[in-house]
Amino acid sequence: MSTALWLAVMISALGTLLMRVVPFLWMQRRLDNDTGLNAMPQWLGILGPLMIAAVLGVSIVPVSPSVISWAATAIGLLVTLLVWWRLRSLGWPVAAGVAVYGMVQVGVALGG
Amino acid sequence: MTQLATPTQTRAWVTGVREATPLLGGYIPVALSFGLVATQAGFTTWEAAVISTLIYAGASQFLFVGMVAAGSPLWLVVAMTLLINVRHVVYGPNLASWLPTSRHWPWLMHGLTDQVFALALTRLPQLPEPQRFGWFVGASLLAWISWIVGTVVGAIAGEELTARWPLLGEIMPFALPALFLTMVAPRFTDKRWALALSVTITAALFLALTGWNNVAIPLAAACGALCFYMIKFQPARHTP
Repeated sequence: MSTALWLAVMISALGTLLMRVVPFLWMQRRLDNDTGLNAMPQWLGILGPLMIAAVLGVSIVPVSPSVISWAATAIGLLVTLLVWWRLRSLGWPVAAGVAVYGMVQVGVALGG
Repeated sequence: MTQLATPTQTRAWVTGVREATPLLGGYIPVALSFGLVATQAGFTTWEAAVISTLIYAGASQFLFVGMVAAGSPLWLVVAMTLLINVRHVVYGPNLASWLPTSRHWPWLMHGLTDQVFALALTRLPQLPEPQRFGWFVGASLLAWISWIVGTVVGAIAGEELTARWPLLGEIMPFALPALFLTMVAPRFTDKRWALALSVTITAALFLALTGWNNVAIPLAAACGALCFYMIKFQPARHTP
């Protein structure tokens, strides 16, 4: 890489790091100085869970969208939800969902 | 407050590593792809690894190498890379109240990606305070290291791997929606939240399907927030 390209990498990296760290430190200082959790704006507490929901929405799209992969996604998500409903944990629902999703994909690949 | 390694924190570190493991299902295939794309765009394996180590933000890394390969002016490459990552601004403040003060945050926040944020926002409130620092270190380091290793493997052997096990690249990424579903599901606590979350998921899905991946997360979250503030349900009437 040329010097200019290295510089572009460094500026991008530093800018991204600052976007992650400065708001965090600002809020921590505000929490220390003010009135604990009340110092956090209400909109921020609402936006957090909604960001997670948005990441879910984006990640639902299969790597190679097709009728099979969409069906596998729907079945996999349903199984994940059912196992979560039963166990209320993080690990097993994910494992069950991936296993079922994989079985549908492999089953179709072997059958086809 | 400076963090000292105690047995509790060591266990918390291990818990963080264990609980972040499902993230690898999504990280490794994307990192493999990035390594492959970067080498095809003319970067060496070492350069691809440095980009993954320092920038560490999936979408913007793809954009970075893509724009460089297309010959775009470097100021525009940097501007677009930073613009895509601007959503990270809201992640830190959301976690601030759950994490203890430490002089290590300026470098530890480097690990605050979409996925680590989502996992941390769900898990940190459930952990005892002394374990939160260790948990974050374990979870974020595992994710970061897997991203770098995935990039290197992708740059060296990506083409051969995807040719040999094409289904692996299809199945492993499903760990991400499955994980996020288990994080979002407990937040369907009432009609107002259920509607806002459903609108957000649907909007993000729609935007991703129409090719607006880069703005899908902040835009969909904004739609959900708008819905949360504008639509209020009457409280249920209780008969005596």
